[in-house]
Amino acid sequence: MNPGVSKGSFAIDQGLASCSCCGKLSPQEVEHCPRCGKRLHLRKPQSLARTLSLLVAAIAFYIPAMALPVMIVDGVGTSSAGGSTGGSTIIGGVITFWKSGSYPVAIIIFTASVLIPILKIVSLCWLCLAATGRAAGSPHSHALAYHITELVGRWSMVDVFVVAILVCLVRLGNLMTITPGPAAISFATVVILTMLSAMSFDPRLLWDHQRRTA
Amino acid sequence: MFRHHPGLPWPRLHRHEQVACPFCDALQPAPRLREGEAALCGHCGEELYRNRPRSLSRCVGFSLAAIFFMVLAHAFPFLTMEAAGNRTRLGLWESARALYLDGAFLLSILTVLFTIVAPAVLACGLLYVCAPLMRGKALPGTVTISRWIQLSEPWSMLEVFLLGFIVSLLKLGHLAEIHFETGLWALSAVVFCLAAALGGIDRRELWDRIEVAKLSS
Repeated sequence: MNPGVSKGSFAIDQGLASCSCCGKLSPQEVEHCPRCGKRLHLRKPQSLARTLSLLVAAIAFYIPAMALPVMIVDGVGTSSAGGSTGGSTIIGGVITFWKSGSYPVAIIIFTASVLIPILKIVSLCWLCLAATGRAAGSPHSHALAYHITELVGRWSMVDVFVVAILVCLVRLGNLMTITPGPAAISFATVVILTMLSAMSFDPRLLWDHQRRTA
Repeated sequence: MFRHHPGLPWPRLHRHEQVACPFCDALQPAPRLREGEAALCGHCGEELYRNRPRSLSRCVGFSLAAIFFMVLAHAFPFLTMEAAGNRTRLGLWESARALYLDGAFLLSILTVLFTIVAPAVLACGLLYVCAPLMRGKALPGTVTISRWIQLSEPWSMLEVFLLGFIVSLLKLGHLAEIHFETGLWALSAVVFCLAAALGGIDRRELWDRIEVAKLSS
């Protein structure tokens, strides 16, 4: 413990707001940060409501992202090119790769488009519940979950970029074309929504709750 | 070993400053650090800030290099592919354009934002802000641009694009004859330089320097 921190000395108790952009401390009466001009808040406004509603929207978009084809392959269907003739869903692509022995690709796609979004949604739900006292866990495990959620979120976008690259590359005359399917935009929306959701979550709420109950 | 840059210490507006931990809100004194040292929150243990060694020169150097490689990555394709007598080139703009031509407008706009606009804002913004700061000056619009940098940081996804590129190659692999071009090496260099430039300076140090520079100009 740092001797400079006396117990119970928190910025919110002193009426001090730290700027979400530049970190400068100002009295909460000041509306805009004198250093960077951003609006000041003691806590991110309506943090839990925003986080949860963005999460619900992300879950809603996740269903078409998984069920609909992410890209549509036309032409002489060679199953090695990410699915047979017709649509290919994300899961279908993973299974095809696994069966054809390309385990690294199957693992990367499975992690980025199935594992990470689900883990992110679960971990944000858990954090929201913990901030209102409905879930267990130490603040340090919460902080770890929050950091991991923020760090891995953007990597889910890899599947969308794969579609963009394949659409561009595979225009092999009249042999074969790939067009983006409806799941691609749904999936991009899921990634964006979960990133926004993680950004609107305020980790200080976890400690606020712990102090109230201590 | 801490090499010190005598001309460029981390300036502060006030002698004694306080900091509230962004994770737990604990209020505590914010000591000045030597280069290479980090301050941790006394309550929850998260890192509050870190005085990165030679921060400004690193930031300026790497963002300049990132801009240079970015120009190359736009000027040259990543790869050309030959199959069935057709030649295809792949670049950042080409992939966005292909999405656009196939009617996926939103996706193509997102691709442009994440792989072209956000990295460009980061590299150019950091150079615009940090280069004058080396002489203790702040150009007009520095505050706005710094906020833009912070805004576009999570949305710059070139490294994710690079992973997507590798996955696509593994998908296509044996289907066609693939030639790697200059653009690919340039793109890898952009990813590295952008990460180094962003990691080169602590956000708090950047804002402290801007604050001091604005007052002195």
